[in-house]
Amino acid sequence: MSCAKANLLNIFKVFVKIGLVLLGGGYVIIPIMQSEIVEKRGWIDKDELLDYYCVSQCLPGIIAINMAILVGYKLAKMKGAIVSTFAMSLTPFISIVLIASFMQKIMHLQYIEGLFWGVNLSVIVLIYLTLKEMWKKSITDFFTIFWFVLIFLLSAFKISPAILIIVSILLGALMGAIKRRKNV
Amino acid sequence: MFNTFVLLFIEFFKTGLFTFGGGFGSLPFLYRMAEIYPWFSYHDLTQLIAISGITPGPIGLNMATFAGFKTLGFFGSIISSFALILPMLIITSRIFKLYDKFEKNTYVKSVLYVLRPTSCALIASVGAKLFYNLVLKNDLTLANVDKSAFLLVLFLFVLTFRLKRDPIIYMSIAAIIGIIYFITTT
Repeated sequence: MSCAKANLLNIFKVFVKIGLVLLGGGYVIIPIMQSEIVEKRGWIDKDELLDYYCVSQCLPGIIAINMAILVGYKLAKMKGAIVSTFAMSLTPFISIVLIASFMQKIMHLQYIEGLFWGVNLSVIVLIYLTLKEMWKKSITDFFTIFWFVLIFLLSAFKISPAILIIVSILLGALMGAIKRRKNV
Repeated sequence: MFNTFVLLFIEFFKTGLFTFGGGFGSLPFLYRMAEIYPWFSYHDLTQLIAISGITPGPIGLNMATFAGFKTLGFFGSIISSFALILPMLIITSRIFKLYDKFEKNTYVKSVLYVLRPTSCALIASVGAKLFYNLVLKNDLTLANVDKSAFLLVLFLFVLTFRLKRDPIIYMSIAAIIGIIYFITTT
């Protein structure tokens, strides 16, 4: 089954392919990696894939890219991580640059405007879906509700998101330190 | 020019470092950039989100590439996507070595406990901003509500009861409806 060895060239090829079919972001990464990396090549097993998915969700950044880094690192250390990330980003990068260069010429077309109108409105619903998914894991008690409302209001007053995230990390670390003290 | 390169790098490094909760997690940072830099406007941003969504690849990466291109052309897009990915390469590869311990660590647990509602709130505020701009037309008195926009959002919302949460489905349906609507009304 695992006919192709996990050398850098093969890692590159597989991740170019993954980047090519990766539509709509992180949600489809599991089925794609399941078929390309677990079933067709046997480079990692299914449990590892799910572990990587869970860890990627907790890490900063983009889920699909973090998963590429984890798989690449497992196969060929840092070199593997760099190759898998680069390969997966290649097609998206080229398509965006091409579209961006031609965009000025097509922007005024009636149907292109309609397309943007529709897609932008769909983002509102997609954000709702993202939130619905995150909500269960995130809002678990009174404090987390309070914190959600507080951050929502602060960001309405145009406080930088980076500052809000740093403050949250610091507060979380402080809570961790207090918890640890109690346990000792 | 050189200054913009450096700023672009720093801003997208920050975005990569502080994005939580998937592709839309980087939206708050892009809105912030539209607010404080002359690189791209809110209007550019709506185009950028739409194109990033319907192009192959992770939305977060596509948005960064596009924003970089808007700001400084081809080299801008290289800088922005590289800067976005760099913190992930550094952090995620380190985490790999200790990832068994990672999820059970008290500090990690507590930080995530506070961080998760924060990313929820940041993403929710982008949703609210989009709704305010596109549906309410920047008017809280509801006098200028774009009725067809409201209907489309409502329709897509109803679809969420039936369909999977694969974004591309919703974006395609909305794109087709948008195209038909714009062609038939003009």
